[in-house]
Amino acid sequence: MPDTSGIAANVVEDAPDDVSVKLLDMSLAGEAADTRRAAERFQAKADALVILGGDGTTRDAALGCDTLPLLSVSTGTNNVVPSAVDGTVAGAAAALVASGAVDDRETTYRHEMVKARTESGESVMGIAAVELSDRSFIGTRALLDPDEMLGGIVSRANPSAIGLSSVAGALDSLAPNEPGAIALRLVDEDASDQTVRAIVAPGMTTRVGVKEYHRLSDGESMVVEVDDGVLGADGERELEVTNETVEFHSVSDGPRLISYEAVFECAARAGVLKDGSECC
Amino acid sequence: MASAELESQETETMTIREAIRETMREELNRDDDVFLIGEDIGVMEGVLDVTGDLYHDFGPERVRDTPISEAGIIGAATGAAATGSRPVAELMFSDFIGVAMEQTMNQMAKMRYMFGGKIEMPVTVRATEGGGMGAASQHSGTVHTMIAHFPGLMAVAPGTPEAAKGLLRSAIRSDDPVFFFENKMIYEQSGEVPVDEDFTIPLGEANVEREGDDVTVVATQRLVGESLTVADELDGDIDVEVIDLRSLYPLDTDTIVESLDKTGRMVVAGESPLSYGAQAEVVSRAVENAFYSLDAPIQRVGVPDTHIPFGPSLESEVLPDADDVRNAIERIA
Amino acid sequence: MLTIREFDTRAGERFADGEIPGFVHLYVGEEAVGVGACAALEEDDYITSTHRGHGHCIAKGLDPKLMMSEIYGKRDGYCNGKGGSMHIADVDSEMLGANGIVGAGPPLGTGAALSISQKGEDRIALSFLGDGAVAQGQVHEAVNLASTWDLPVVFLIENNQYGEGTAVSDQHNAKNLSDTAAAYDIPGINVDGMDITAVNEAVTEARKRARNGEGPTLIEAETYRFHGHFEGDQELYRDEEEVEDWRKRDPIDTFSERLIERDELSEEELGEMREDIEMEIEDAIEYAKNADDPTPDEAYEDMFSQRVPDIDLFVEQANARADGGTRGGEF
Repeated sequence: MPDTSGIAANVVEDAPDDVSVKLLDMSLAGEAADTRRAAERFQAKADALVILGGDGTTRDAALGCDTLPLLSVSTGTNNVVPSAVDGTVAGAAAALVASGAVDDRETTYRHEMVKARTESGESVMGIAAVELSDRSFIGTRALLDPDEMLGGIVSRANPSAIGLSSVAGALDSLAPNEPGAIALRLVDEDASDQTVRAIVAPGMTTRVGVKEYHRLSDGESMVVEVDDGVLGADGERELEVTNETVEFHSVSDGPRLISYEAVFECAARAGVLKDGSECC
Repeated sequence: MASAELESQETETMTIREAIRETMREELNRDDDVFLIGEDIGVMEGVLDVTGDLYHDFGPERVRDTPISEAGIIGAATGAAATGSRPVAELMFSDFIGVAMEQTMNQMAKMRYMFGGKIEMPVTVRATEGGGMGAASQHSGTVHTMIAHFPGLMAVAPGTPEAAKGLLRSAIRSDDPVFFFENKMIYEQSGEVPVDEDFTIPLGEANVEREGDDVTVVATQRLVGESLTVADELDGDIDVEVIDLRSLYPLDTDTIVESLDKTGRMVVAGESPLSYGAQAEVVSRAVENAFYSLDAPIQRVGVPDTHIPFGPSLESEVLPDADDVRNAIERIA
Repeated sequence: MLTIREFDTRAGERFADGEIPGFVHLYVGEEAVGVGACAALEEDDYITSTHRGHGHCIAKGLDPKLMMSEIYGKRDGYCNGKGGSMHIADVDSEMLGANGIVGAGPPLGTGAALSISQKGEDRIALSFLGDGAVAQGQVHEAVNLASTWDLPVVFLIENNQYGEGTAVSDQHNAKNLSDTAAAYDIPGINVDGMDITAVNEAVTEARKRARNGEGPTLIEAETYRFHGHFEGDQELYRDEEEVEDWRKRDPIDTFSERLIERDELSEEELGEMREDIEMEIEDAIEYAKNADDPTPDEAYEDMFSQRVPDIDLFVEQANARADGGTRGGEF
């Protein structure tokens, strides 16, 4: 948010006459809070929410909803959570959930989130990862240089992911709906006994030195003293910290995400997609 | 003076096209800071074949083909000149200056003055002018008055191969912006040109091509040759002095005044549209500085304030030629 | 940033008092862009500027005293009094001029980069341009040439939300001006122009690309001018609330607060800096006010690298007329 490429406006424009599609009537400040406020409005009214964006947009939407099923479609740059799925498939999956044609207990899951909190009370929340960089400033926001990464925490670990989740995924495996998180401390690859190959940013496969990693259960945390650094969430720098104690931990009861594969498997199994069935 | 110049040194015969190309070749060889930039001057060898084989000798960086971007070409040449390069930009048809006028009049022309003289602007701009090949209004114009008029720019418009060579070299070596206007109908005109690779003609120096006592014809570009033909035809009847103005700005007032003091009669001939044209400036200088030498009204020959039409009958109607010069001479002789 | 703020605030006052002739366009509010960018450059990198150029000049290291003298039209000024506020230039600082024509800088930046490339030099050019300039044709030509030839140049759009008195959204359909980079197949980066660190990082990265032969980068820095387009502008196109909202993001306040928070600067040091700079600018104004005007005959100098007889001729004629005579010979 805002919708700079006009996708939503085109959807409204091109919608068939018998389908009522409207844009939310809300004022935009051009910041993350817009997404959260929009999600709050949907939580009150909608049966499912399709998000076009990256990890950041998904997280911001998640912060505005509780039980509303979300289907996140990748259009951002640094994506772990959203799926790169065809728009029609995504739309149909969301419709199958929203209409109650499939059992949402089988087709959705709670995605864990992760958080970093400073002693002075500021915090940063990520859906896939919260990172700590040794940069001093938020600057251009992007976290691209693995050499600057000091560590962080991830809610999911998979070697096919991107960013810190990919580093964790090279060492361990953690599904997004598993409770807990993996915390990592990174060092210069030359000074490390343990190095891994990971995709740390789009277009960047690198060797990363891992000093330590911990599997944290719910309620456990990793505490790091930071002289001068920046906390990032889902690949973007968010908060400058100096002379702080930072605590990283997982946050349960994250957003309810729709698995489009599960939706279609379930729908097929239930015969919903067969001609003559009552749904569709 | 031409004859004196030429008598004293070794020469070769070449066309105006060759004189321009060879000067560029010599200057590219002499100075690494010189480069050519323009549309289709490289691989295509120039739309009127002026740059020719230079691309093959100097490569794509010294003879740089550009997109069709006249403002960009003139802007980039201006920026490059301001930072120590010595670009020679080709605008192809002079009519295209319209696209690049902003960079020309507000940057190239003004930078040195606005900066208190603390920057050099060693840029040369070549452009081809003139009607006669049915190229119609947007490829046949003679726009040199606009450039000569604009403070901060120098403008030259040679009428002979020798002048082409001497002036182009002076233009390239000058630390000021110089527009070099070529008439496209006289590229094949040939003549004697000094072989000396340092031969230059100072900017702002006209040349008496033919001496005479009765009428002075001050001509530019194609009209220099046409006037010399007329002078020969009138020989024995009217003694015509023909001056190739060569530089439009600076303008050689002294040579004009000196000739007028002798003949008392003057025709100014060029292909610029007449009103407010380059011819008018010559007339003004003459009137201001040699009024009391005048024995007859000064005559102007040029395009009668129209654009250059396409159809051959129309085009030949508006283009000034030898007949127009002869008639003008006969009106006052 | 403090020097620019003080310089322009005082220049605005002196203009309002009628001491400074012509137009002045103030950079107040946009300081993070110029300073963040120039701090990412090497000393011998070139810049081209805009009509709102005081900030770029100071960020590039020009002397406020000689700048102020120029704005006052004095001989000691950078352009000997011939340029004024809109044309301050200092070739020795590789500062290729403020520019009164919107969009004229980028072609010059491309040209400087072409020179660098031709000569094989280890430096780059950076062209500042405004959001308004993005609508100019010659900017397109300049960026396209630079991209086509992979020239070492950075184009930095200072989007201060208004092209003169017209809002950006009324001038462009593109939501982000940096999106236009796609047409040239170069990176288009949008940064917070009120954050000096964001601008600095983006330009550092772009400079690296330029030096690596990877060609130009188009950066858009979102910023805001706290003053009108020019001093005396009635500002009918925006409301006070909007200006106040942006003032809350004052790049000097936010950055100094961050530095104080992280103990890299103390309130006392900041206060001392402000005082020193106030004095420096006060001195510059005094110096400029007391400096010599150019003599009238200097108006005829600096047209060309050598004197041309034409100008002398006209000056002689004017002098002769003043003496009651005429030039043109005698009967």
